[in-house]
Amino acid sequence: MGGFFWENMRIALSELWGHKTRSILTATGIVIGIIAVSLMSTLINGVDGLFENSMKFLGRGNLYVDKWPWFGDEDWWTLRNRPRIELDMAEDIEERSTYAIAVAAQRGRSADLSYKEYSSEGIFINGVSANYPDVSTIDVEFGRFFTGSEDRTGAQVIILGSDVAKALFPFEDPIDKEIFVGSSRFRVIGVLAEMGKFLGTFSQDAQVIIPIKTFNKIFHGPWGMRRITVKVPEEHIEDAKEELRGIVRVLRGQKPEEKDNFAINQQKAFRQQYQGIKLAIGGTGLVITALSLLVGGIGIANIMFVSVKERTREIGVRKALGATRGKILGQFLIESMLITASGGIVGLLVSTLASLAINKFLFPASMSFGVAFMAIALSATVGLIAGLAPARKGSLLDPIEALRYE
Amino acid sequence: MPLIQVKDLYKIYQMGNTEVRALDGVSLSIEKNEYVSIMGPSGSGKSTLMNLLGCLDTPSSGDFYMDGINVATMTDNELAHIRNKKIGFVFQTFNLLPKSTSLRNVELPLIYNGEVKAQFRKDLAMKALNRVNLGDRVGHKPNELSGGQRQRVAIARALVNDPAIILADEPTGNLDSKTGEEIMALFDDLHALGNTIILVTHEEYIAEHAQRIVRLLDGKIAVDELTKKKKK
Ligand SMILES: Nc1ncnc2c1ncn2[C@@H]1O[C@H](COP(=O)(O)OP(=O)(O)OP(=O)(O)O)[C@@H](O)[C@H]1O
Ligand SMILES: [Mg+2]
Repeated sequence: MGGFFWENMRIALSELWGHKTRSILTATGIVIGIIAVSLMSTLINGVDGLFENSMKFLGRGNLYVDKWPWFGDEDWWTLRNRPRIELDMAEDIEERSTYAIAVAAQRGRSADLSYKEYSSEGIFINGVSANYPDVSTIDVEFGRFFTGSEDRTGAQVIILGSDVAKALFPFEDPIDKEIFVGSSRFRVIGVLAEMGKFLGTFSQDAQVIIPIKTFNKIFHGPWGMRRITVKVPEEHIEDAKEELRGIVRVLRGQKPEEKDNFAINQQKAFRQQYQGIKLAIGGTGLVITALSLLVGGIGIANIMFVSVKERTREIGVRKALGATRGKILGQFLIESMLITASGGIVGLLVSTLASLAINKFLFPASMSFGVAFMAIALSATVGLIAGLAPARKGSLLDPIEALRYE
Repeated sequence: MPLIQVKDLYKIYQMGNTEVRALDGVSLSIEKNEYVSIMGPSGSGKSTLMNLLGCLDTPSSGDFYMDGINVATMTDNELAHIRNKKIGFVFQTFNLLPKSTSLRNVELPLIYNGEVKAQFRKDLAMKALNRVNLGDRVGHKPNELSGGQRQRVAIARALVNDPAIILADEPTGNLDSKTGEEIMALFDDLHALGNTIILVTHEEYIAEHAQRIVRLLDGKIAVDELTKKKKK
């Protein structure tokens, strides 16, 4: 049986070789289909990795009390007119919530930094309470974070994101140096480890952190973001969210019939949004794949019918010499599967190159073994299905009729 | 029990309004190890009869028993098996695969013979080609061979599976008398080894190699006689 397979492979290869142009043209649809499906899954894998990496910045057990919901279709004016988040709620929340592990207040806006002749413009100034490290994934690589008493007293101390540190201190050790935030002097007490970008755009390394009391002292006015982050046990996050909603409503004195005038955001919202996008990408890719495989498959079936017709005498000779229907069927099926599998391999090579390029220029992406295997199996299956009718036709030929065929 | 037994065999082709009776009531029985020549003018039905005996064609009516088994009741796979193992068929028009070498052509029956392992195929095919004196043309494709050489490839292919019955439709038609005699000597040897041989020929001196001559005329058996060789 093994011998029969290799014999047919040999025949199929020499047939394909004998009709090079025809074979290449026929396999093009399959090549495109396989490129579509393998590149798409590679892309999704890559974007997935990117997404998961970004999600690390938003702890799974974190609830964010914000003015704006991250996603949703509420009326912009209603949202805009909501009161801003009162950061002193943080203490009350901590007191009343049964789930809260840590409650941190945060303000943010951008400002320009400078040190000697170096400067950085539009840097995100992150004013946070001293327990901020408990609710975030920041990691102080050099120096230290500020203390509770530094926060209470509004000390002018600052922790630099790694990019900021590099920009302001290309040749010096930043620790204990004095820099300017706007016109206020700050002493650098720490440098954060590199974190990367959030969803490929907002660099987490181009920020600086100062105590929130200091922030309040320096920056007046209503602008900038205000947020209370509540860390709760991940497994109770839904209950904790309901409780938190109630607490904030009471603190704000909202009437029962009033809608919430604040938002509680969580990582899940990103996830849901992302799933939607992923589904859309995947769906489009699948439609392209299905269409090109269908068209490719029809082409293969057509060319196999032509091949069976051209080789009627050959089939007659083989049957006269003892080939059974099954062997003729097998011969033509192997041939059509070889065409499509070769198309699949070519498609796979192209998308491997493409994914190398994506990896180099866009984001981390690599073709997984599973995807490669799936692509080859899929293309061979298309060959099998497309070859079935023509192969059957050949296998059912009457030997003497086939031998007489001119 | 005869090896081959046909009764009232008809093969009728309907060509528009006229019908062609290629075989018009043939009854014949051939014993194991018989050596039979079939003769007759062109169009008398010799090839038609051979195709039926070779299990390649089906009669319009009549019975055909091989080893006592009614061929009409056999499945497609059983027929394929018989064509592969039991019968070696030399076609009047050779029917070689044009794109394959002599060696590949001769290997074909071995490929469909599930009992021969791939590594022995080449050896067996080489042996068969040597028997017809074509050992030096194994790499040639049919269009690179003379008519007589093609005929010998066809004969080698018929012999390669060591079949019990050899059906040869004008196996010496394209050969000079010397090569023809060599091929006939080969058939004589095979007969001596116990094979059953049925061949079609137009030449009396070729036919005389057999023990029996069946003469067809217009699809009917006109004469069925023993040769001098048998009478001796
Ligand atoms: N497929 C066919 N359709 C119609 N008629 C056919 C067909 N095959 C054979 N015949 C007819 O059957 C008759 C017998 O043909 P066959 O080939 O058996 O002759 P033959 O004795 O082998 O002749 P030759 O010596 O020329 O080979 C011929 O008259 C031929 O025209
Ligand atoms: Mg004939």
